[in-house]
Amino acid sequence: MNQATDDLGLDPISLEIIGNGLRSIADECFVALMRSSYSTNIKERRDHSIAIIDPKGRLVVQAVEALPIHIASMSGLMECLLEKFAGRIEEGDIFVANDPHTAGGTHLPDINYAMPIFIEGELTAFICNIAHHADVGGMAPGSMAGGMSEIYQEGLRLPVVKLFRRGELQTDIFDIMLLNVRVPDERRGDHNAQIAACNLGARRFAEVVQTHGLARVRGAFDEIMRRTEARMRDGIRSIPDGVYTFEDAMDGDGVRTLDVPIKLTLTIADDRAHFDFAGTSEQVTGNVNTTMNATSASVCYALKAVLDPEVPSNQGVIDVADISIPIGTLLNSVFPAPVAARAHTCQRIIDVVLGALAQALPGRVTAAANGANTTAVFAGVDPRNGEAYLYLETLGGGMGARPTKDGKDGVQVGITNTSNLPVEAIEQEYPLRVEEYSLVEDSGGAGCFRGGMGLRRVVTPVAHNCVFNGVGERFRHQPWGLAGGAPGASGQFLIRDGDGERRLDDKPGEVEVPLHTRIVIETPGAGGFGAPGERDAEALREDADSGKFTAAFVARFYPEAAGAD
Amino acid sequence: MGWSIGVDVGGTFTDFYATNTDSGQVVVGKTPSTPANPADAILTGLRALCDDSGIDERAIERLSHGTTVATNTLIQRKGGTVALVTTYGFRDLLEIGRQTRPHMFDLYQDHPPPLVPRAHRLELAERVGPEGEVLIAPTSADIDAVVDAVRASGASACAVGFIFAFRNGAHEQQVRDALQARLPDVAVSISSEVQPEFREYERLSTTVLNAYLQPIMGAYLARLEQAIGERAPDATLGINQSSGGLMSPARARALPVRTALSGPAAGAVGAAHAAKETERRNVITLDMGGTSADVALIRDFQADLTYDRDVAGFPVRLPSVDIETVGAGGGSVAWFDRDGLLKAGPLSAGADPGPACYGRGGEQPTVTDANLLLGRLSARGLLNGQMALDQARARAAFAPLAEKLGFSVERTAHGVLGIVVANMVRTIRTISVERGHDPRTFVLMPFGGAGPLHAHEVAVSLGIDELLIPASPGIVCAQGLVVSDLKEDFVASARTRVDTSGMQALTAAAAQLLEQANAWFASEQADADGQHLELGVDARYVGQNFELSVALASGTTLTADDLPDTAALHARFCAAHETAYGYASADDPIEVVNVRLAARARLGAVPTAGSSTAPDEPPEPIEHRDVHFAPDAPVSTAIYARSSLEAGHRIAGPAIIEQLDTTIPVYPGAIAEITAAGHLIIKLSAAEEGSA
Repeated sequence: MNQATDDLGLDPISLEIIGNGLRSIADECFVALMRSSYSTNIKERRDHSIAIIDPKGRLVVQAVEALPIHIASMSGLMECLLEKFAGRIEEGDIFVANDPHTAGGTHLPDINYAMPIFIEGELTAFICNIAHHADVGGMAPGSMAGGMSEIYQEGLRLPVVKLFRRGELQTDIFDIMLLNVRVPDERRGDHNAQIAACNLGARRFAEVVQTHGLARVRGAFDEIMRRTEARMRDGIRSIPDGVYTFEDAMDGDGVRTLDVPIKLTLTIADDRAHFDFAGTSEQVTGNVNTTMNATSASVCYALKAVLDPEVPSNQGVIDVADISIPIGTLLNSVFPAPVAARAHTCQRIIDVVLGALAQALPGRVTAAANGANTTAVFAGVDPRNGEAYLYLETLGGGMGARPTKDGKDGVQVGITNTSNLPVEAIEQEYPLRVEEYSLVEDSGGAGCFRGGMGLRRVVTPVAHNCVFNGVGERFRHQPWGLAGGAPGASGQFLIRDGDGERRLDDKPGEVEVPLHTRIVIETPGAGGFGAPGERDAEALREDADSGKFTAAFVARFYPEAAGAD
Repeated sequence: MGWSIGVDVGGTFTDFYATNTDSGQVVVGKTPSTPANPADAILTGLRALCDDSGIDERAIERLSHGTTVATNTLIQRKGGTVALVTTYGFRDLLEIGRQTRPHMFDLYQDHPPPLVPRAHRLELAERVGPEGEVLIAPTSADIDAVVDAVRASGASACAVGFIFAFRNGAHEQQVRDALQARLPDVAVSISSEVQPEFREYERLSTTVLNAYLQPIMGAYLARLEQAIGERAPDATLGINQSSGGLMSPARARALPVRTALSGPAAGAVGAAHAAKETERRNVITLDMGGTSADVALIRDFQADLTYDRDVAGFPVRLPSVDIETVGAGGGSVAWFDRDGLLKAGPLSAGADPGPACYGRGGEQPTVTDANLLLGRLSARGLLNGQMALDQARARAAFAPLAEKLGFSVERTAHGVLGIVVANMVRTIRTISVERGHDPRTFVLMPFGGAGPLHAHEVAVSLGIDELLIPASPGIVCAQGLVVSDLKEDFVASARTRVDTSGMQALTAAAAQLLEQANAWFASEQADADGQHLELGVDARYVGQNFELSVALASGTTLTADDLPDTAALHARFCAAHETAYGYASADDPIEVVNVRLAARARLGAVPTAGSSTAPDEPPEPIEHRDVHFAPDAPVSTAIYARSSLEAGHRIAGPAIIEQLDTTIPVYPGAIAEITAAGHLIIKLSAAEEGSA
């Protein structure tokens, strides 16, 4: 505590109580936005976030359930907003933006909102939210498809603009936003939910200020971030000093480049961590590029997960990661790089950071997980009502084996934790049938502790022909094991019809799916931890009895155990 | 003369609340719980209660039971061996769930493993489509093979959950019939009966939990029924449900998952009763014990319900009292987090070793220690001096915290209580503000051993100006059981737009539910004038995926004609949406997902106790001691025994009212008054004086 915070009475008790009030605002807005939006991504899959940001653009509080990828996206938006609108931010304004290259976004479907909060006429904070819209226009339904080479093709780009000017909706801007997206009525509902969440947060914030006083709340902003940073630095100090390098590769960009390397040199010196991504690929033609904000969010995720999962998500976490990446590379891409599928790359960045940390902290780091954000998009015209439909889903897979236990099967990992859509919701809302939803046998990498298993979904159109778009990663580069553990299985997209089954591209675009034809989605498993020979006999019996692993797999990876039976 | 007795089995004590249905006489009792076989404590305690109070066991007319058997079975994973039959292609659904992990950043935290191992999850080639149409009919050979596999698995219970069975349960019924015909000893739960609602994973999870509990609950109730039948042959046994109403033992055996939150639900019903007796329509309850605090909302004298919650990490989609729990109790430990901020809970010293001041080896600073240090709790201790509290130990436990903060021990203790209060306030906000209800329009009702100690500051933080402390804050649950109705919740899935043709479907669904309810009234032999029905729908804007529950009609009798017309239904939905989310789109179409009907049958008249004659003498304090209401300045405070207080007595703060099961501070400026039924109303600011 310094003198200034002392004068404000910001002791560890008051800070905890004020912080509690601020977290409460973020969580309340999170629930309100989730429940009142229209996009299934938000309603069922919680692909949204809430944050309170200070007037300098620093992240003070993020909703507990907010997605990690959004942590830096908010800061990115704020940086652009403060620069562009310096001196022109007024009470009642609401800003909107999504562009990764000019407005700090990470991909176009994530629409960012920021509302300044004025207390006693003074700009005190921003209440912000991000929501993943089911569509933002562009070449392909869902605005997430691969195969494109410029961001223009991915959808409507919004620089930071005032959607509300002193409380007045700028209908001409709103009209442009809605005209450029598919199913505009639903998107209008999503925007309304985001606007309502801004207003709600501003109201609640004023109440917190009324309770604790403006000076104390402002003082608490600084103190919360300062303490979080100190806590993270303590964590970094627990890592042995040294230089750790790790390299992995993305399968490809879906357009022309295969094997896209991501290279990290991590230097730990006392409480400083320097992440140097020199040696990483140039930015690619396809849509797996990330902007600096998305890269930063991924690095922060990995650091927090390994060092201190309970640390509050705020600027203090972002600030400890000192990141160097040459401009124009895969992880610090510039216009006109397409970025829609950046989540896959974020997952791989996490793997790479974990890979480097595993050398420094053996026994605290997990093996590689499914390392993807396997995306499936089905679109067509619903024969029941003649209306266009679009169903987008991202699927989990294996979680990396841990130094003390198996990886979890069929689960979201890393920067994403979105729910699946119930089969009964899919089939009621879309002319699709889900024929199977299961774990992919033999997909968890063998080890003393085995990797988690991938997921399989089999989908077929009902009474019409539909179109399938997909984005897969770790469909060739398998998730690696640690400490002698075997890699997990890679994933694949298949098309199945009367002639049998054949493998699709890893990032297939606009695949025609006629009646009686099935799309089979198999997501990657995850790597094992420790030598398979050390696997417990009981666990091995469960692997076989459960049917999760075939006899052939057990014989191959655990020959001693198989021989003993 | 007859007796109605409520028995609430808690983790530590089994509580009894007996009321004479003629005279209104009330007798209470408490006996240590016997977790290995909870029925033992019920029988021992019942005998002691009857012996002590001269109750003839044969005069017991009703025995209403709140049970933790289901909850504990789930937490300890000690249920039956379950087999599961799913639609072909979906046996892993139970394990995949919603494909999420419980903590975004913690790489080591997992959801609990599924209750049915994969080898016992069987698939049947069958399929129903979204309109209930049969796409693949199961063959009898396939069904036989499934039954064989269930037999081979050695399961004592079998759950059946098919896709879209809530639309058409015929295939599930076929499998159930085959199982019952060939494996009569295996308990069967089918999803279309346990909870015929949309969303396959939650329905499946609920059904599997039910099957998992069936063997345990069946055996428990059989033992209990037999023992009660021998001792109190005229007693009708009622089992409390999570939704706050009783059901027969036969229903409880078939649907044990409905008792997963039986105990806390009874508390909410008891609280609602106290609310009625004091004419406080809207109440927030705060039930704070040793390790945690439960909060719930009572509106119009009824506890709010939720239809979606977790029990022991598993989703349960059934109506239950909407209770939120926060790790804030008397035993909650204060600690410094890694960023130097002070926290309180969720770690608790529990009852053993308990707070430092118990002198049972606990050394960590707890909330109870803080209350003792501030003089709010007496060093004479709880339970009328049976257990003295050690101030020196409490001080020693707090000294390191105080030193680190540079504060006095008292200021530190005060700060810890402030943090606990903030945690409870945040939880109350989630059930009130986040659901669109303004807490300032509610009365706060604290109970449980620690609730009243912190209620004043919770109320101030929420802008609430009145506290209602029930007559016996320690046995609100047992009391709630005595005043509970028999209750049955019916649901029909009816996904339809709210338009003219949609209304026909709704009317048909409502008529079908009303028919079921009338059959139920008949089977329970419910008196005509004690019947009550509440009809509602779960609805949403077309395109949304979360439903809001909207009440449509209620009364002693209802017909499908009591449904509002499309315009009125639309308007009510918009009003509910406006309340819950702050906006409504009047022009957007809405659709109904479920139609719900709650049926209640009143079990005899509810006795009302007490007189309201004003006492002649003002109350006499038993002593005075220094109490810290503010951090640094103790005030000499009068201490009263609640047992000496009579209806009409008024006490101005600062004061402390002590009773067997709790301690109630009356802050400076606040005024406490005893009501006719023995409840305590505290007005926080004297300006409000006189309105009670």
